[in-house]
Amino acid sequence: MGARRPTPYGEAVAERLAMDLVRAGVVVVSGLALGIDAAAHEGALAGGGLTVAVLGTGIDVVYPAANAGLAARILAAGGTLLSQFPDGTPPRRGNFPRRNWTMAALSDLVVVVEAAEGSGALITADAALSLNRTVMAVPGSVFSALSVGCHQLLRDGAGLVQNARDVLAELQSPSAVLDDPMRLPEGAAAAPAGGGLLRHLSDVHPVDPGELARRLGLPLPEVLARLTRLELEGAVRRGGGGYLRVQRRTRGCGMHGAGAG
Amino acid sequence: MACLVGPIVGTRWPAGKRGRSPVFIGGVAGAVFGLYPAAVVASVLGCQVHGLEGHPVEVQVDVSAGVPGFFLVGLATGSVREARERVRAAIRNSGLPFPLRRLTVNLAPAELRKEGSGLDLAIAVGVSLAALGRSSPPGTAFLGELALNGQVRHVDGVLVAARSLARHGVRDLFVAASDAAEAALVERLRVFAAPSLAAVVAHLGGEAPIPPYAGGPPRVEEGAVEHDLAEVGGQEAARRALEVAAAGRHHLLLCGPPGAGKTMLARCLPGLLPPMTLEEALELAEVRSVLGELPAGRPLDWTRPFRAPHHSISTAGLVGGGSRLAVPGEVSRATRGVLFLDELAEFQPVVLQALRQPLEEGRVVITRSGGPVTYPAHFQLVAATNLCPCGWTGDDRRPCRCTPGAVQAYQRALSGPITDRIDLQVTVPRTPPEVLGREASGEPSRTVRARVERARRVQLERQGVLNAGLRAADLRRWAPLRPAARAALERWAEARGLTGRGFHRAWRVARTLADLDGGGPIGEEHVLEALGYRLLERAA
Ligand SMILES: [Zn+2]
Repeated sequence: MGARRPTPYGEAVAERLAMDLVRAGVVVVSGLALGIDAAAHEGALAGGGLTVAVLGTGIDVVYPAANAGLAARILAAGGTLLSQFPDGTPPRRGNFPRRNWTMAALSDLVVVVEAAEGSGALITADAALSLNRTVMAVPGSVFSALSVGCHQLLRDGAGLVQNARDVLAELQSPSAVLDDPMRLPEGAAAAPAGGGLLRHLSDVHPVDPGELARRLGLPLPEVLARLTRLELEGAVRRGGGGYLRVQRRTRGCGMHGAGAG
Repeated sequence: MACLVGPIVGTRWPAGKRGRSPVFIGGVAGAVFGLYPAAVVASVLGCQVHGLEGHPVEVQVDVSAGVPGFFLVGLATGSVREARERVRAAIRNSGLPFPLRRLTVNLAPAELRKEGSGLDLAIAVGVSLAALGRSSPPGTAFLGELALNGQVRHVDGVLVAARSLARHGVRDLFVAASDAAEAALVERLRVFAAPSLAAVVAHLGGEAPIPPYAGGPPRVEEGAVEHDLAEVGGQEAARRALEVAAAGRHHLLLCGPPGAGKTMLARCLPGLLPPMTLEEALELAEVRSVLGELPAGRPLDWTRPFRAPHHSISTAGLVGGGSRLAVPGEVSRATRGVLFLDELAEFQPVVLQALRQPLEEGRVVITRSGGPVTYPAHFQLVAATNLCPCGWTGDDRRPCRCTPGAVQAYQRALSGPITDRIDLQVTVPRTPPEVLGREASGEPSRTVRARVERARRVQLERQGVLNAGLRAADLRRWAPLRPAARAALERWAEARGLTGRGFHRAWRVARTLADLDGGGPIGEEHVLEALGYRLLERAA
């Protein structure tokens, strides 16, 4: 579990981790929410494994609607959609924490990928602990607010997840097939094009074009033009009020709303 | 309209001694006995202001035999009917004769609605002249409210009235002393600062001439730069966007977290625009004159206005209106300057909807029972918004706590009919303290303005309008794209599903970027940079 609006880093971690875990025979349980949940389901599907989506709505209500396709693919791949709520229950604020309890109860181990301070993922981690489930966390960038929650868990004694093997070791199903460090999901662009500019961009922390211009000592119009060119090439994207490096192949460059990623 | 100026006194009648009126026996007595005229009609010119138009009003005074009374006719509303009491008291307290007979004042044309107290002076002069058997000199008009002691007082809209009276052939205008500078802005008009009704009557009788107001014709000055770009730390992207906005008269949207300095940036825009022309300064002064907000003595303000209404503003407050009179709104107060809408998403949609006409036409028409009123609204819009409801997107000190649905709804609300008309959109991040602490590296507004003025000259010489006013057909004619530029624009449009509107917006901005570079054809670098100023793009 993790943030609904993760950084590209968090998404990549969730996807890769799920992929490697299903390859080792683990079933991935998540909540079909946007962000980390969706990435985990996607990773499990990409790894050819089984995944269970625990819904916070009635079984016949897919929320968010953007994940309807994902839900269908989970079923098509032999996975399960599961809900504790009566048919037709719409998304309600109070139901999601209950769904999270169910998720924790169904699992042997909970991995948190990106959680802001005081976020729902942390509350669920507490729930998992009270159910005697093991809680692990993936470290993140110290520049990112979305790392704070995970780092707090780590400080409090949660297991650190560097790769799937860490999780498997905790589950007592050791496996030799996994490498270390974690590999980027397929399609991740390590494109060196764009020269010095890309080196100053982050996967996680949006950089303002003005700041880029300052760092590179280039005039702003030129920086903006180069960023747009890289954007057309799919190497950067706008988000969070700045520009981010695109870590993996873009799923088509759709609408980019108000710079919020 | 046809308008009679000057005396149409029917018959001269012998002036009675001061304070005593000649005795009339009956309405036809004069005719019968050949001694006195049957009726006395004096005509004096005043003015009724309706929006930014002044309509000459002919005040006809008829004094006839009959039961003494004072009748005011000619579509005079309640506020004008009250003039009778002020006029009667002012005349008596000025030591002038008040005819103790049947007094009928007709305000012509009758179909024009008369409001306010601006006709007081004209009515009182008309009655006094009629009582004295004198006539108003031709080409003379009177504007002002009367105090009970006969003092002439300020009225709103003197500039509007004066300009219109001058167009109708008036050469001499009497106004309150506090309004003289305002009236004197109109060239070819001789203005007399009238202290009191008695002084005006004495002047007209040649007893004590009032010297004409010596204001001289208005001189074009340069407005003050109240907020200088040199004071802005960092914010390179927003600075550049401001320059481009000023150069092409593009509307601008600033997106960023609270405390990022969006308001300060917006306040810098007026100082980047070229100095106002006399015509622009007069247009602004007319709006302020109608509002009664022109400072006495120094009516022309050469600083471009900056208006920042709160998001709780009503439609009437923003575009004009009001329950009784059509009062100019913020869009007109901001004419020739900048209208700043902070927290755009908080404005009521119906209020923003009302901005469409002024944004498209540069004016606003308010429908009123007395007929539609038009006010100028040539403002440049700067809007500011957070990136999400909680506002913390773009600020790394705190995480954004918004649900994806809430963020989507927020951005949907933003990308409406107003952002559709905003050519330039730019993010304004919170400036890190280490950048704020640095030496101010920013150029001063004056330097930027020199480039803006150059780019504007290029546009006006080429196409007669600024780039923001270019329509699709104009773009094809005046904004040719080099092949690589066209390819980049089309590639982007395809990838984003850019609508025709979005396509033209980026094209217009690219035109301005090329004009800042000297005005040649649009290159790929201009298109690529222009696309960097697009944030809210509505899906096709
Ligand atoms: Zn937020």
